Amino acid sequence: MNWSGSSAPERATDLASPSPSTGRAAAAPRRAPRFSDLGLRIAGIVTVLAILEIASRAGVLPRAWFPPISEIYLEFGKLAFGWPLWLEIGRTLGGWALGIGIATLCAIPLGVLLGASRIAYRLAKAVIEFFRPVPSVALIPLAVLVYGTGLEMKVFLITFATFWPILLQTIYGVQDVDPVARDTARSYGLPPLARFTQITLPSAAPYIATGLRIASAIALVLAVTAELVVGAPGLGQAIVVAQSNANPTRMYALIIVAGLLGWALNSGFQAVERRLLRWHPAQRQEAGK
Amino acid sequence: MLEVSQLRKVYGPDPDGEPAVAGLDFTVNDQEFVCILGSSGCGKTTMLRCLSGLDRPTAGQVTLRDSPVTGPPEEMAFVFQDYSRSLLPWMRVQRNVAFPLRYKGLSTQEAKEATDEALTAVGLAGSGQLYPWQLSGGMQQRVAIARALAYKPRVLLMDEPFASVDAQTRAGLEDLLLDIWQRYQITVLFVTHDIDEAVYLADRVLVLQAPASVRRSVEVSLPRPRDQLETKQLPEFGRLRAELYAALDAQTAPA
Repeated sequence: MNWSGSSAPERATDLASPSPSTGRAAAAPRRAPRFSDLGLRIAGIVTVLAILEIASRAGVLPRAWFPPISEIYLEFGKLAFGWPLWLEIGRTLGGWALGIGIATLCAIPLGVLLGASRIAYRLAKAVIEFFRPVPSVALIPLAVLVYGTGLEMKVFLITFATFWPILLQTIYGVQDVDPVARDTARSYGLPPLARFTQITLPSAAPYIATGLRIASAIALVLAVTAELVVGAPGLGQAIVVAQSNANPTRMYALIIVAGLLGWALNSGFQAVERRLLRWHPAQRQEAGK
Repeated sequence: MLEVSQLRKVYGPDPDGEPAVAGLDFTVNDQEFVCILGSSGCGKTTMLRCLSGLDRPTAGQVTLRDSPVTGPPEEMAFVFQDYSRSLLPWMRVQRNVAFPLRYKGLSTQEAKEATDEALTAVGLAGSGQLYPWQLSGGMQQRVAIARALAYKPRVLLMDEPFASVDAQTRAGLEDLLLDIWQRYQITVLFVTHDIDEAVYLADRVLVLQAPASVRRSVEVSLPRPRDQLETKQLPEFGRLRAELYAALDAQTAPA
């Protein structure tokens, strides 16, 4: 019986929307573009950078707060070749990884249980709906009180925040196993454990992957927030330090680092999904037939 | 071989509620090809689910070779209508066919041999490394048939297996099924709502009426092997088709 709940706001349908330049779309005949896609993208970036540079140098933007973009990238380059930046990145990523790791270890088994048992799900639903909407940053004072201002505080916040998307995606994934697939396994006499490993887990995997990718983005936001607000060591704290040292150039360079970090993590997750879930409709490179 | 006696199935908590199957009685002989014909909603699928052990009947009994069916029996394989959902998209064709065999106690080598043989039998020997969704609908259903074959069942239950493929493909699949049925000497219970298909395939056609019980049992004595063109041109084919049409029509008319 399929009783996948009606309250399913984050189904895995958004799983890495297939890029339009792959598969059949690429094979379809179309007019030769006047400019290559990559060329246009680069041109767009260069234009924005040039406008920023000129605006700053011409004094349209107050130079004290908006240093020329070339200086920011120069600073970025200098930072990239020194170990302190990598230490800060490591500290931020350490909290990120520990928090997601703990959340995953707790959320996936619990999600499997709640997804498989209708009664357990009903019991837990109200509790989940109560805790899930709590903005994690609202727990910062509590976290500082209990864990101080170091890594533990950061890990606590990230674990709390990322636990929910992973839990819910796991529940949805387990609930959404195709009843025909389940019947097929039963009719061929697969014992319950085999049905779980052969049918339930693989069908839930795309949902869980989406949950992890969402969790990764949330975790980075919280890591940097905790470092900014509380002063836990990491990228966020480095940004505050640069700001209070009246070094806006460095501050911007670090902001760029934070952005790149988020992009790299997301790309990493997408690459793993593409590899492990290549059977999933969102990842398929070839259409049927 | 397969005996159904006084089978009754009611969904929901009340055993006296509206039954989906009521008082179903029939027997399928060894190596017989029986088609169950009924209009949609007459309880065909519910009946099959009870026969296959996927659902427990509310009352009555199903026995397979003298032992009562209480869960999916090892001697039975089920081919679902919805091949795209019955085949697992994360497994390649080879594994889709092979995965049940391990739980039947076959060694890896035996499973591989059975899989290769079954895929060859349905003409998909070269497609083992593809994913099911890379195949056409007809090929996907052939994979599902291969999976059932590799399982080496005595009884093959088929729930409108060819209802969602185009007519051309369907004729090919019907002939493939007849060929396999004769070659492997299995018993087939084939549910369909298509009169022509039932007459073409079966030794015997059972017409179901809602709630599923047997209204009519019609012997099909058309010569075998059957041929899509010749068999369907025989006067006897036309007569059987008219008889079954009347039987089906009589029950749907009042509705």
